[in-house]
Amino acid sequence: MSAAADQPILDPALAPPFPAAALPVLRNVQLRKNVAHAIDVIQAKRARLVAEKTDWQELRSAASRIKDEALQKLGVHLEQFEERCTAAGGHVHWAADAAEARRIVLELLREADAGEVIKIKTMTSAEIQLNPFLEAAGVRTYETDLAEIILQLGQGEPSHIVVPALHVNRSQVREIFARTMGIENLSDEPKALTAAARNYLRQKFLSVPAAISGANFLVAETGSVVVVESEGNGRMCLTLPKTMITLAGIEKIVPRFQDLEVMLQLLARSATGERMSPYTSFWTGVTPGDGPQKFHVVLLDNGRSSILARKTERQTLRCIRCAACMNACPVYRQTGGHAYGSVYPGPIGAILTPQLQHLRHAQSLPYASSLCGACYEVCPVKINIPEILIDLRAKVTDRERRTVGKFFDPMYVGLRAANVIFSRARLFHAAQWMGRIGLRFFTRRDGWIHSLPGVGAKWTQTRDLRGLPKQTFHEWWAQRGSATSKEVR
Amino acid sequence: MSPVADSRKQVLERIRAATTASPRRDSGATEGKAAETRDYVRQGQMTASARCERFIERLREYDADVMECAPDGLAAAIATQLRASGGRTFVAPAGLPAEWRAPGFEWKIDNHLDVRDVEHADGVVTACFCGVADSGTIVLHHGPAEGRRVISLLPDWHLCVVRASQVVETLPEYFERCTTEDWVSGAGDRGRTGLPRLVTWIAGPSATADIEMTRIKGVHGPRFLNIILVRDEE
Repeated sequence: MSAAADQPILDPALAPPFPAAALPVLRNVQLRKNVAHAIDVIQAKRARLVAEKTDWQELRSAASRIKDEALQKLGVHLEQFEERCTAAGGHVHWAADAAEARRIVLELLREADAGEVIKIKTMTSAEIQLNPFLEAAGVRTYETDLAEIILQLGQGEPSHIVVPALHVNRSQVREIFARTMGIENLSDEPKALTAAARNYLRQKFLSVPAAISGANFLVAETGSVVVVESEGNGRMCLTLPKTMITLAGIEKIVPRFQDLEVMLQLLARSATGERMSPYTSFWTGVTPGDGPQKFHVVLLDNGRSSILARKTERQTLRCIRCAACMNACPVYRQTGGHAYGSVYPGPIGAILTPQLQHLRHAQSLPYASSLCGACYEVCPVKINIPEILIDLRAKVTDRERRTVGKFFDPMYVGLRAANVIFSRARLFHAAQWMGRIGLRFFTRRDGWIHSLPGVGAKWTQTRDLRGLPKQTFHEWWAQRGSATSKEVR
Repeated sequence: MSPVADSRKQVLERIRAATTASPRRDSGATEGKAAETRDYVRQGQMTASARCERFIERLREYDADVMECAPDGLAAAIATQLRASGGRTFVAPAGLPAEWRAPGFEWKIDNHLDVRDVEHADGVVTACFCGVADSGTIVLHHGPAEGRRVISLLPDWHLCVVRASQVVETLPEYFERCTTEDWVSGAGDRGRTGLPRLVTWIAGPSATADIEMTRIKGVHGPRFLNIILVRDEE
């Protein structure tokens, strides 16, 4: 009954395909209720606050231009960031992949003599599976964001990138906290549960020597890092420990300090439906007398540069991780995040995950969408997610049909046949004639086909098919007398 | 030398290959375009008093407590708020004006106070760099009167003094102030770029909605955010 009971797998290399992973979730009424409730609340708040901004569309356009500019000269901006951050007393490290990033972080923690580390919520750390690695190496990790504590203590997995525990309800949280913190008579009031988390972490904040954060933005012009949060756990991690390590994807960069006036107007409204999150922190290297005196940034590639190289897909890297797309998605609303088999669920996950995996895994994700376009409409940086989904579907198919075993797959045989038939008029007419005779057998009196055998069942399992009409358009056209054609004129 | 240095080279080379192959042919044409076409609302249109009203309304919407006072009533207003808090011991940044430290309370002046001392204080009083009406946000640049980041974080109660003349309507106006404003004496550290190095924006007290989207005030940061707005506008 706890969140861990159904054990979702969020490693794209191991996760089952989306339709299979979605099945248990669809049967879990409680989970679907929790997800739908959370999403309804955020959606309503967001809609109200977006409506009050008269320049919302201009802000979106500006944001997409800023990110495009940042990506066009990504190398230059990263080097500028490195130079400015270093000049301000920070250290910049580069990680080509997840394994290297993990190794760097562990080395830095060993250098800092840190057997424990406190963490600000970072999806990038989940992407590289940092916690299990550190734990195995003997470093105890403490998540400090309330949702992350719930998941860490309950051994659950995130199902959303902004509100990772939205699939867990208050009685489940109560059970997890009572069991793991050893609190008797804990109430299931969110207020009491929040207080329990505060007490649990207070001493950790004051005593743990090192912290790990992600970054919402990196500013090339100043070498600053920006983190947006609500609870103050972020500020604790940014100010109390002696060593601070920021793990950031290379796409987090914006060229200028002033660019933040656009990004930060969009982020909180899109993410949590607030005008501004309670706390936004910027820091630049090290400030004597204030906060950690050792500061490291780990810049992570891990597949991002290969996304950068592709024309249509490059816009994926504009993403500021606000989660507006998953909140708007009719598919996500039904399945929640675990079905996506990745720490990045929803529409953005459906395009980001397979690309980060070089399309070797997560090939089912581009199909986990109805292509309704709601994600594109709400995206604050105007990522055309449906366009990329279609493009990735083509890539997945291209890859698949070239695999040896797929040559005799009925679907590909059918498609090759269609290719021949559709390009020759006589074959096409013959096929229509044959189809009408063949399908007549399956067509019911209401004019619909309710079930087909073989490959055809793939269609009729979930929807009906219109029976073929008695007459084709061409036949009807040829039959018309010249009189009727005058009328039309 | 080390594999780490190789990774830097490797990542930058991959990026260079990806960006110079120029998948978008307009590369270069849009150079600097983002900076030119800032066609969203930058300058606010409100009168000073309307701006203050909006600032107050939006702060309150996010559970901040707001009190207004005339410029000559500031010391009294601070004393009132301190009394109302029920606390006894308060932290003051080293550069906080002496007359703000109301008599009758124990003041810990932050000359490198130990965090345990800060933690045990009942509250903290600070100034700020600016207030943004549109988002109900106060901005700290951690100058001498605003203090180190930790002092406005650990105590459960934060009183921040904002002058109406410090309140801007839109967020872009704040960014404008960061570059053009002749900063009040020593208000925060400016990097060699002329931009602030250390910034904290605060919009209401610490909060979470992680459990069933129920907004709870006060998680790790201060549970109470109090603003005194000094009406010094024209």
